Amino acid sequence: MQHEIVSREEWTAARKVHLMKEKELTRLRDKLSAERRALPWVKIDKTYVFNTPNGKRTLADLFEGRSQLIVQHFMFGPDWDAGCSGCSFSADHIEGALVHLEHRDVSFVRISRAPLAKLEAYRKRMGWRGRWASSFDSDFNYDFHVSFTPEQAAQGKVYYNYEVRDFQSEELSGLSVFYKNAKGDVFHTYSTFGRGDELVDTSYMLLDLTPLGRNETGPNYNLADWVRRHDEYGGSAGSAA
Amino acid sequence: MQSHRIVSADEWTKARKAFLAKEKEFTQARDRLSAERRALPWVKVDKAYVFDTPQGKKTLAELFDGRSQLIVYHFMLGPGWEEGCQSCSYLADHFDGATIHLAQRDVTFLAVSRAPLAKIEAFKRRMGWKFPWVSSSGNDFNFDFHVSFKEDEVGKNVEYNYERQEIDSDEMPGASVFYKDETGAVFHTYSAYARGLDILVGAYNFLDLTPKGRDEDQLPWTMAWVRHHDKYEDSKHTSTCCGSEA
Repeated sequence: MQHEIVSREEWTAARKVHLMKEKELTRLRDKLSAERRALPWVKIDKTYVFNTPNGKRTLADLFEGRSQLIVQHFMFGPDWDAGCSGCSFSADHIEGALVHLEHRDVSFVRISRAPLAKLEAYRKRMGWRGRWASSFDSDFNYDFHVSFTPEQAAQGKVYYNYEVRDFQSEELSGLSVFYKNAKGDVFHTYSTFGRGDELVDTSYMLLDLTPLGRNETGPNYNLADWVRRHDEYGGSAGSAA
Repeated sequence: MQSHRIVSADEWTKARKAFLAKEKEFTQARDRLSAERRALPWVKVDKAYVFDTPQGKKTLAELFDGRSQLIVYHFMLGPGWEEGCQSCSYLADHFDGATIHLAQRDVTFLAVSRAPLAKIEAFKRRMGWKFPWVSSSGNDFNFDFHVSFKEDEVGKNVEYNYERQEIDSDEMPGASVFYKDETGAVFHTYSAYARGLDILVGAYNFLDLTPKGRDEDQLPWTMAWVRHHDKYEDSKHTSTCCGSEA
């Protein structure tokens, strides 16, 4: 790798210019977060019931006494043998955040269409403590545009990330946020898909600081180029679990 | 929470799409900035820094552990401190999930503190972390990278985050990135401090998606709510994998 090597003084001068731009982007991020909080909400009138290790639970129950709920739409179809590796990459980063989120009035749950026994077995394999509920018997995944019916697949076009696009997979990923008021009413406040959730993947944020960056040079030009489940990287030392 | 505007699904989608366009602009701006960061020049590191590690003395070049890129988190744990800084610990709770993936992208990640290795090891065990963590107690590393300061510099104007500013601690947080070429030469490519580290905090990035956000406006300082993960008042009640009904 050939790169420009300079004196400390020159480096600092260049770094200061870049710092100004970094600060601008941080402020833009703060501004966007404020705008996001000002977005309107939709009341959830449908009663979604999930299978959880504690039995059947409604969406309102999943808040666990807190007023905010973040759902990771984890790609794990009913017939799949394991969860999606990209979603597992995200999940590895969420584990350490959970205890802190719980102290900012946020509950977190993964939701997938696979039956609960599969979710629990995979959760144990990956060493995650985060809660996981199955939406197998409900419309939840379809209503939030992360699962697609065989009919939709056959048409070749699906609605995902707020646009109609080519069908890729029966399951896709995302994050959805809900709010529960004092009366117990539940509101859908936000959903993000595609690259919209990558800020929570600390590995990516760290890679963006390095000389080689994400280095995703194909064939997929995304994390599918290199990300594996943390127990499937051959010969690497240590485990994330 | 104050009452909030409730709309139909159609109206919500319309507002959401308008906002999505802004989010995409932000993502693209961030990609451009990352590319600009990679184009910044580097400085050759000529000083031989030697660190205390669980595997004995190691130079900065050896810390790369066979990879060409090294990310150092400057963890605030001073020689006389009883435990690591609370805010650094909040960041560090996000590291273990990342290290194995970073290793696949030619990156070794580790933390460096000025406390003696025995103190680092004891605190690391208490927190249950696995990421590598070494001591710079015998060298100038922390001072040269502007994250440790002499006792008589506290409360005075010093160089931190590329400007002169008053600091309130002899240890400050940061992250530094190094590159090692085929000849073994080591280069300092990048350092970030203060809010430059903010985007590494996954929990903050999650909170930014929620109605209440970080909810820190009424607090004496931004991370005033943060505790060591074993020190939240109700730590023993935090949800387990199976969850618990409130």
